[in-house]
Amino acid sequence: MSKLRFAFAFLAAKLSVAALKITGHMGTNLPGKLALKLCPDFLRYIRKPERIIAVTGTNGKTTVSNLLCDLLERDGKPVLSNRYGSNIASGIATTLIGGCDLLGREKYGIAVLEIDERSAPRIFPWVRPELAVVTNLFRDSIMRNAHPAYIADILTRNLPAETRLVLNADDLISCGVAPENPRVYFGIERMDSDVTDCVNLVNDIRICPQCHSELRYEYRRYHHIGRAVCDGCGFASPAYDVAGADVDFGAMTMRIRDAEGEAEYRLLSDSIFNVYNMVSAAAVLRQLGYDHARIAEIMDGCAIVATRHNEEKVGDVTLIMQMAKEKNALACSRAFDYVAGREGTKELVLMMNCLGDVKHWSENVSWLYDCDFEFLDRPDIRCIVATGARALDYRLRLLLAGVPEEKIICIEDELEAVTYLPFTPGDQVYLFYGTDSLVFAQKVRARLAELAKEAAK
Amino acid sequence: MTIEILYPEVANLYGDLMNMEYLRRSCPEIELVNTALGEEPRFLREPVDLVYMGSVTEEGLTLAAESLMPRRDEIAARVDAGQRFLVTGNALDLFGLDITADNGWSLRGLALFPTHARYTMMSRYNALYVGKYGDIDIVGFKSQFGHSYADGDVTPLFDTLRGCGLNEGVMGEGLRRENFMATYVTGPLLILNPPFAKELLADMGVSEPSLAFEDAAMDLYRQRVAQFSDPGTGIVYH
Repeated sequence: MSKLRFAFAFLAAKLSVAALKITGHMGTNLPGKLALKLCPDFLRYIRKPERIIAVTGTNGKTTVSNLLCDLLERDGKPVLSNRYGSNIASGIATTLIGGCDLLGREKYGIAVLEIDERSAPRIFPWVRPELAVVTNLFRDSIMRNAHPAYIADILTRNLPAETRLVLNADDLISCGVAPENPRVYFGIERMDSDVTDCVNLVNDIRICPQCHSELRYEYRRYHHIGRAVCDGCGFASPAYDVAGADVDFGAMTMRIRDAEGEAEYRLLSDSIFNVYNMVSAAAVLRQLGYDHARIAEIMDGCAIVATRHNEEKVGDVTLIMQMAKEKNALACSRAFDYVAGREGTKELVLMMNCLGDVKHWSENVSWLYDCDFEFLDRPDIRCIVATGARALDYRLRLLLAGVPEEKIICIEDELEAVTYLPFTPGDQVYLFYGTDSLVFAQKVRARLAELAKEAAK
Repeated sequence: MTIEILYPEVANLYGDLMNMEYLRRSCPEIELVNTALGEEPRFLREPVDLVYMGSVTEEGLTLAAESLMPRRDEIAARVDAGQRFLVTGNALDLFGLDITADNGWSLRGLALFPTHARYTMMSRYNALYVGKYGDIDIVGFKSQFGHSYADGDVTPLFDTLRGCGLNEGVMGEGLRRENFMATYVTGPLLILNPPFAKELLADMGVSEPSLAFEDAAMDLYRQRVAQFSDPGTGIVYH
């Protein structure tokens, strides 16, 4: 009966794919949604590629998934992926439907699937990856993800026992996921910019996971990311199996090495979180049998997906779109830290508002008080536009972060607010937006470009 | 003037620690002191003007209970003698009888209140909150794994106008015993509710309290009270 139901669901889903194609509605989860509605255990029966690589974690999973797809495709391997779909169960079902022909036979030998951490209980019973990367576990949406230990517990309870994990040794929270599973650790060796004390508001692993004494960090990059030791019981972060080293943002190079070899890699981005993304992708390819020289070669032509950070000279300023996911204190803190650390004078627009919540509800703003707005209290930040439904929340948070009141422009209407920017020649103008405001951000960006051109006349 | 923060190494979720930083910024004579897991709470050995504990992980609740349970009777006596507490988020559950979760996790609480907390770990309750503390409007958020259910009478901290109280079947929100105040409402509570923050400072003995960036905080408070009180604004997030 179940298989009959599956066959019916599969056929209906395939028909919906064709209908969506004809009507020009691609990239939706509808086929998978329909399939799961008609056959709740659809994922159990659908044929899957022989090799599945899952990518999960709080930040970087889209970047790492896309990078892995690009790398494998550049090596000539067709890859099934949910690059253009969602990472929840219906998105995975949609992807797998697309990976089968009309007779239900799988067309791909390998899949790279980005998987939402909280969707693990619905996906992993039936989609059993050979390798699973956990990029990191940080605070994310309070409403959905609560705190990272909660997400680590969900992954531990649901990852298949045979899945080999590729884990970030510099993140003691994701390191602790599924302790019985086989595993490989990646990380980045000590850097000149490392510190030992936490400068961030959020530091989610302050005590030893074993004896609960205070942890000491030998080096720390940000938040709880770094190498920790416990002077109480001798516990320490695991050693790296695959390590990034000699990261040189000037020359835009690093080395990645392990027990069997090493190579120099060209950096794809000047942000440390993207260096982690590169090292994790290299660690996966090492598990698939690639040598460093080949990985470095095919990675050299890759790019980090442009929706996250995009800059363009317009008029006398540089206009920069900077993704900073709404309701995600960590993503915004990393983005603020990155922007604050760049050379030059800046004008900022903060509109990481959750537009979906504006219509019928109100965004839970407690994440603003986990987020390091303090990075924005800098002399080279000329002014900050606080705008959107949460404009007044941003204003108060910026004031508490030490930003002088005269630097803050607080206007709810986004398209009006940006008219108050000075567009001083030579400035970098940043538009911080979230995934929820992706489409609207393009409209604001277009307005910024108009204004920048006018200011240059 | 001293505020003791209990277990900030685990009780630091949802921006809650900023509640105390806000009081310190508002009143420079306030000194914040942290008490770590395993240490004897300072309020048991010397005068402390306010004891605070904020939202916490489930493992953190277990560790906090281990730290406090041996001193349970002494803590109850101090509460009855008028020791001032503010407890926010799920830290409230630590002071009830027990917590049980549908994934098998459970915890015995300090039993200062006859309440049982019930958690459903894959289904968080997310909602806005509007209530009253005397004449003061209270607004904030709830984001939690479950609710508390009382065996007998408990004195609530807030009277709910929109949203739910200790659970979806009652309008009384939070718990009160003498000067012990606990609420599920987060926000952070004191930043989102400047009149309540001022009242708390006054209760702690600050004469004519004023708040850091009070005008900006009040602009935001008025906007939020109006928005959350509007029947057109949804309360429970689906």
